[in-house]
Order: sequence, then structure tokens, then C-alpha cells
Amino acid sequence: MEQQQTLAVNAQIELRRRLCDRKSIFSIFSDSPNSNHSKLKFIVSNSVTEGCNNSVLLLGPRGCGQKEVELRAKVLDLVIEDLKSEHHDLISVVKLDGILHSDDNCALKEIAKQLCLENQLLFSKMASSDDNSQFMIAVLREYGLAHKTVIFVLDEFDLFAQGKQRLLYSLLDAMQSVASQAVVIGASCRLDADQLLEKRVRSRFSHRKLLFLPPNKEDRKRQVFLHSLTWKLHCFTLVNYANKFNTKLHNIFKDTQFMEVLDALSDYDSSINNLLNFLFVAVCDMALDSGYLSLDNFKTAALSIQRPFKLEIIQGCSILELYILVCMKRLEDKEQNSYNFNSVMKEYKGIHVSYQIPDYYSQNVCLRAFEHLLQRELICFMDNRGHSLSIEFRPVKLLISSYELHQALKSNRFFPVRVLKCPSSQVNLIDWQKRWNNFPLILSQWLLAIACWFRRAFSLRFKFVSKWSGFSLSMCMPAIDDDITSYMEASIQLVEVERDSEDNLLANI
Amino acid sequence: MIETTSHSEAMSKEEALQVTKRTTRSSTSTPVKTPVRTQKTIKSHASLPSNNLVFEGEPLSLEALISNFPGRRLQILKLLNFIGPLNTSMLPLFLYGGPATGKTSVLLQSFRHLQRPFVYASCRTCHNPKILFESVLNQLLSHRQQASNGYSCAKKCEKPSDFVHLLQEALKEVINTLKGNSKEKMVPKESEGQDHKSMVYLIFDNLELVRDWEKHSVIISMLFKLYDILKLPEVGLIFISNASPDTYYMNTGSLEPLPIYFPDYTEDELYQIFSRNQENPKLYSSFLDITLKPFCRITRRVDELSIAFQSLFQKYCEPLSDSGIVPTGDMKRMLFKDLNRHLAPSLNETFSIPSHLSYEEEAKKDKVRWKANVKNSGHGEALDDINFHMSISAKYLLISAFLASRNRATLDATLFDSTGGGDNRKRKRKISEASKEKKETAEEELLMKGPGTFPLERLLAIFQCITSVMEDSLDEGVQESGSDLGAEGGNSELMSDVLLQLSTLCNANFISKGGTCPLEASTRYRSTVSEELALKVARSMKFPLSQYLYQK
Repeated sequence: MEQQQTLAVNAQIELRRRLCDRKSIFSIFSDSPNSNHSKLKFIVSNSVTEGCNNSVLLLGPRGCGQKEVELRAKVLDLVIEDLKSEHHDLISVVKLDGILHSDDNCALKEIAKQLCLENQLLFSKMASSDDNSQFMIAVLREYGLAHKTVIFVLDEFDLFAQGKQRLLYSLLDAMQSVASQAVVIGASCRLDADQLLEKRVRSRFSHRKLLFLPPNKEDRKRQVFLHSLTWKLHCFTLVNYANKFNTKLHNIFKDTQFMEVLDALSDYDSSINNLLNFLFVAVCDMALDSGYLSLDNFKTAALSIQRPFKLEIIQGCSILELYILVCMKRLEDKEQNSYNFNSVMKEYKGIHVSYQIPDYYSQNVCLRAFEHLLQRELICFMDNRGHSLSIEFRPVKLLISSYELHQALKSNRFFPVRVLKCPSSQVNLIDWQKRWNNFPLILSQWLLAIACWFRRAFSLRFKFVSKWSGFSLSMCMPAIDDDITSYMEASIQLVEVERDSEDNLLANI
Repeated sequence: MIETTSHSEAMSKEEALQVTKRTTRSSTSTPVKTPVRTQKTIKSHASLPSNNLVFEGEPLSLEALISNFPGRRLQILKLLNFIGPLNTSMLPLFLYGGPATGKTSVLLQSFRHLQRPFVYASCRTCHNPKILFESVLNQLLSHRQQASNGYSCAKKCEKPSDFVHLLQEALKEVINTLKGNSKEKMVPKESEGQDHKSMVYLIFDNLELVRDWEKHSVIISMLFKLYDILKLPEVGLIFISNASPDTYYMNTGSLEPLPIYFPDYTEDELYQIFSRNQENPKLYSSFLDITLKPFCRITRRVDELSIAFQSLFQKYCEPLSDSGIVPTGDMKRMLFKDLNRHLAPSLNETFSIPSHLSYEEEAKKDKVRWKANVKNSGHGEALDDINFHMSISAKYLLISAFLASRNRATLDATLFDSTGGGDNRKRKRKISEASKEKKETAEEELLMKGPGTFPLERLLAIFQCITSVMEDSLDEGVQESGSDLGAEGGNSELMSDVLLQLSTLCNANFISKGGTCPLEASTRYRSTVSEELALKVARSMKFPLSQYLYQK
């Protein structure tokens, strides 16, 4: 038994190590011949062998949380490693990161430092940025004469394009004039990164761009999953255990439930990193007495990775804080364009009288609760101006959706939900029902279907759904995408009214 | 030897303070002995610099750790799961949750349980990037700031790029010595082969404060990307923050840390926390039965509740002669009745300042008068008098500032002109007859805009008017002896240091100095005093403030 446990612990350690070492995982993407990997390799090796200057921009979308910068950077690393193994002495690499070296002087210093290190020269900290840039040009010339290539890698390229772009200019200009062999590789998540360049810089840039798209298909996911979790039999001593582990894993992967979890995960964030994070959490949860991964591990991992941040925080609020949130929501429903603590207090007094709620507290206690809400970032000030005004008078706004508030109130057994049902919102609903009747049939059915789907999907991922469905709706009906959220909210309410007809409807469509 | 024991390193001192502060704040909840980080002398342990990074004292068992933090079992287990067994690399973690939910203490105590080296830097004590970077490096290099080295840092670094370089070097060194140690140790202690630790953990606390720094986006994205930049699998990164990860806009293209949420304590958990370590648990639990529920509706933060309960429990115990007594049913009812008096006012109080004895006696006279009021209104008005001393001229100045903020400048003439009194009344009637809508919008405006601003000249003019009116009324009382000279003399005395008083009031935040008006180019002031306070001050002076308020 004990042996089993130590075995499981060792297995877990090995799996964790594998998941933390991202480079090896990205190497599985470099195999296909048509990939960006081979294109980039061609460009760089071209300049190494032919002795010409080159510049490339690697672009990958980040969009809503997808972080393909990772992928790019990893591909880049792999390419450079490959090339180094081919022509070891002929290449030196200078790596800069936009986050660290967006300052021009700082970047020049870093270049000089790395070049010194490469050539066993002594780097002086005292050197001015002029010295450094002259040194860089001199080194480039020397490299050109010796037929060696320098590769400048600029990660987060868009950050270098801020300000006067002196660094980019001097780099690209040096490549124009000096007989050197250099490649500038920029990596950025902004697709318009080359548009950020100044005219004088842009004209010196070669306008070669490689676009990286997130791996979306099943086979990619499968590759990552199996590559990172299965044991290779030849390198593992306990064949029995490894075999059993692998077959269990394959069974899980074939399970439809698991595929649902995986789909939900990629709806939320389809990047490889997110997938790896998910696998890491699952591995951490692995039961050590059995030593095998189970489907439950993956389910809980998915839940713990995609958290409904705001909702959790609202659920932690005290009753008084909830009342303040509700008052703010009511003020927003009344279409009051700006409100502050004083108007919230007025509303609070109002609902205290009209609903006869038992909790009524003095102004300073409410103010403290209000400050808690500010601290929790459920509400925030409208503007950064007016620091001289005290908190009571500064206009505020809600940072949560009405859905989140509703959900949190429902789960709180002490809170009277009726308070939230403001008369104005009911008017809205009736108004909306009128409009609904005027809609063409197909359209209304679509809306309703989406709302139904919504309601079902909510249990897992409410945060991104509203965005997502708003998007898809505007895809099919671009005319009404203006007001889409209010439509959606109203349609959710409608669905709640006609809950039993929901299944019929779905069946219809 | 004093040198060796005293925490002369400024950073570590702050850190120890931070740690002790946290534990004292939740001292009712956790019996944790103040965790003191080892500051072993370099002389004796020159070969083991990384020993400094481990908690001193006997390790905490897992059961003790979990029982020390009621309601935090899931979080602790999850945390330990993520950190994993010895020498396993891990992805960055992100602990978040409201204030006073035990994030930092759970994490630090977990490290005490694990006995692994870590570096702790709080962005609250290290309030700018330079200090933060240098504190981390100092701890890693086990460098102490002391008088002998002029409180200098091990490495000077201001820019993130320098920090990354130095951090990389320092970490490599530390990890190498750790590995070296383990190899040395392996020889004599072959049976204890598990003793080699090669992971170092960096903990960044209060990360949400970084967002207020200059160039915060660079620092935050650098910290989140640190795992990628360092490329050292032996380094674990842990972030602690009040704000949830979605408020950081982590589109930096870096590794997203794994979130661990510390939810606010529920009522039952609060009950467990507060009933820990009480001298008389039964008495306290009967106290909690009454108080916890109403207080939980207002706030669920341990720190605020413990302050409120402290004074309330004293009142609860007042009728008891022996604090070790076990309450029976009857006695509970009696105590409950007693406490009920105090409960409502204390619910509506955020904090109370214990006033001086001499002052209390003074206030007692007023209290008799006010008690009737308190009973009538049921709540509020617990603060019955001004709890501070102020000179008379300062009080006048406060009132005039309040008037200047509330009233429109155009009305000054009618309000303060002695001949305009009759006119004033007429005007008032007109307003009340005017449409209600107008009044409502005006009210709304007052709610939204807050008190108005005024130039210094207007303040002084009003001040002069008020004081002269008051002098006149005083004069009427002593009309026989009243000579004009005396009155004028008093007046000039009042006026003499009025500017001084003004600056005092500004410093005390009764009056705030606004921006300069672009047209007049003079400083404008704004009174931040609430109406109740102004009325109280006026009452203490017997000044008829309500007469001069336009909207009332």
C-alpha cells in the first residue's frame, strides 16, 4: 500500500514537472511542414546563409483572454534552438522584452550587455546610451565582416512602438546602411503592430508578417492532452502501472462528459495555456492512494479554474451591503444618469419605508458598508476627478450585471428578493412583451432559444455567456445589436415566465 | 549579542510588524504564536544562508494548521495541493478574497507547516517598486540593513529589467546552495533522504496596491510574467490580493496564475472563530447567541466585529460579579435584557473614541436631556455632544464656513443685512409656494454636488457678520455697562488670528482647500462638515444657525 502511495507521489511529481515545462509541449506543434515554425526557420536560416538583413513580425491574436503570445514565443525559442544546433558559432541572439525594456536607454544598455556577454567583452555600467548605440553599430559591422548573424528578438513588440521609437529606428537604420547580417524578429499580440510604427521606421521595415492562430481543433487538444499526461513505456520502469494509467486516461478522454467539460473550457478560453492550467489543477487533485486520474478530478479542476469572480464576491457581502447594491440597481433602473452615496441613502430610506424592511442603519454605518463595496470593486467612482470631494458626493457606478446580482440575492436566504423587483423594471417587461409581439416569428423564436440555452448554460459559465451570445446574436441579426443586452435580459425574464413552454420551443427549432 | 537578536534589518522589521499586526488583529480567532522569522547569525550559519528563509520553531502539524483556522479547511488543503510535495515545480498561484479572511496568515502558517524557504514581500510596506525589489533581493541574499553598513541595500535596483537580472542571479545562487546542502546532508543522514529542499517561493502580498503606483501596468505585467521570464522551475510564485483576478486585466500574454478564493466567513464560521480562546466559553457563547446575528447583517469582517464585540462584551459582563460564572437560563434572560439597551446604538456606530474622564462628567448633564430623545427615535443620535474642544472663534469660523458652503452667494445680503430681515421672510414664503419640482431638483442637486465652494473673502465677511450679531446680542444682556469700545475690542481679538484658525480647520479636515478658480485665481474652500455637526456646534454656542440656512 505504502509502495503504491510513493509510486503515486512520484508519478504526480513527474506529471507536474511536465506541465510546468511548457517548451516541450509546444514542440509537438513544430512537426507539421507548413507551419509557421518552418516558415520562420526558413527566413532566419536564409539570412544566415545568404548573408542578408531581414525583419519579421510575428502576430497572434489575444482577443478575449487567448494568449497566443506564449505560442509565438515558444515557437521562436524552438526555432532559435534548432538553428543554433545547426550553425552554432554563426549566430548570436539578443533578446529584449517590451515589458522590461520599453525605455530606449534601457534597451540599448541591455543590447550592449548581451553583445558583450556573447563576445566575452567587459561591459561597463557607466557607458552612456550614445556609447552603447555606437558600440552596437560597431559590433554589427564586425559581425557582418565575420559573416556572423545577430538575431534581435523583441517580445511585446507593440510596447517598443510607444514614444519616439528611437530604438527601432536605430536598429532598422543600422541594418539598412551597414553591411551586416541581422534579423529583427518582433512578436506582438496586436495585429496592427506594424501600423503603430512611425513613417521613418515603417519604411525601413520589411513588412513580413506571420500570423499565428489559436489551435482550435479537437486533434490539437487531444495532442496536448495525451502528450502531457500519458506515460511513455520505454522510459518508465513500472510498466504495469503506466499501462493501467494510460488506458484509464484514454477511457476518460472518450467519455462524452469529459468532452463537455473540455468544450466548456475552450468556450471560456481556448488557449493552450488555459488547457495546461486545467490539466495541472487536475493532476494536483489526483487521489494519491489510488494513483490514477479520474473524471471527477477534471470536473472539479474545470470549476476551480473558471470562477465566477464577481458572483462569489457578492455572495460574501453582508445584508446591508446587498441593500446598498440593490438601491444602486434600482436607481439605475430608474435611469438616473448619475448618482452618489447620498442619493443611494435616499433610495434606501425609500425602500425602508415602502417595503418595511427590518434593517435600517445610520448613515455612518452605511458609509462604511459603501466603502467595503468600493474595496471589493463591486462599485467604483465614475471618474478620477474630484478627489477633494468627500466620498458621499462622488458619483459612482455599479460594476456588476443585474444577472449576477439576482443570482447572488437568490442564494442568500436572508434577503427579501422582492425589494429588487422595482416597479420600473416591470413596466419594462410589459413594454418589452408588446415589442415582442411585433417581432417576426423566427426572430423571437431565435431569441427565446438563445435565452433558454443561456439559462441552461448558466450553471457553469455565466460570465462570458452574455458576451458570447450577444456576439452570436449580432452575427445573425446585425440590425439590433445595439441594445442587445437589454433584449437578452428581458428575454431571460420571459423565459422564466414561460418556463414550461421552453422545451417545446427548443424542440421546434 | 544584542545585535544578533535584534531585527536590525529594516525590511525584516517591517515584515515582522506586518506579520504580528495581522495576527494580533485576528488574535481572537487564531492562537498562533507570533511567527518570528529566523534571523540567524551569519557567523554560525555562514554555509546555510537559506536557513534564514524558513520559519523558526517546531513545524506545525497539518491538524493544528487546520484547527487554527476555522472555516479555512478547503482553502488550506487546496493550497497545499497546489504547492505539492517536496521539490515539485508549480505554476504561479493567486490567493484572493476580502480583507480579514486569513489569506496571509494561512499562507505563512502553511509555510511554517511545510518548513520550506520562502521570501515574503508586501506591497503595503514596500510602497514603491524600488523598495519592493530591494526587499526581495535583500532577503534572498540574506543581507541585513544595519547601522554598520549604513542601512544600505545589497543591490541597488530601480528598473524592472535590473531587478529581473539580479533576481535571476540571486535565485540561482540560493538554489545552488540549497542543492549543495542537500548533497552534503545526504552522506550522514542517508535515511532522511527527503531533507533536501530545492524550491524557493516568492510571495507578493497586497498586490492590489501596485495598481496605484506609477507605471503600474509595467510592474504588474512583469510580476505576472516573472515565471516565464525567470525560466527557473525551482521558483514558486504566490500572489496575494484583495481584488479578484478579473480586476487586473491580465491581458499581458503571460501565464495566468491559478486562483484560490478565500470567501468571507459565514455566520457559523464567525461563531467558531469568536468562541475560540475565551476565558469563559459558555458565557461568551451566550453573548454571541445574541449579538452575532444582528451584527452579521451589517458586516462580516472579523476585524470590525471583534472591535465591536470587545466593548459590548464588557457591558454584557457588567452586571456579573464573577466573570467565571456559568450562566443559567434566567441569568441569560436578564443579561439579554440588559444588553439590549446597548445593542441598537452600537449597531449604528462605526467606532467610538473613549473620551476623557473630566469631559464625561461635563457631558453627563447633557445626557439626561438627551436620553428622552434617544428613546424616542430608537436609533441614531447616540453621539450626543461634540467630542472635541475648540476655541470660540474656531467654532464661529466653522459655522460661517458651513453657511458659506450651503447658501448661495447671492443670498448673503438678504440673510445678513440687518434691514433685510423682513424681506427674508417674504422670500421664504414665496419659495414654499413655488412648484415642488423645482425644489426637488434643487435637493437632488445638493445631494449630487455636495457643498459649494467659496472664496476666502466671503468666508471672512460672513464670519464678521455672525460675530457682530452675536456680540450685539451679548451686549443687549449687559446693556448698562455696554460700551462700544469693549465690543469692538473683543471683535478685533476674534479677528486677529482668524487665518491661523482657518489653516487649523483645514488641517483637521473640517474645511477642504479646493482648486483655484480659473477666473478669480484665488483659492476656494469647501466645508466638509455634516449638517448635524454644524447644528451641534451652533447649539453649543447658542447660535441660531437654522435662521441663516436658506433651504430649511
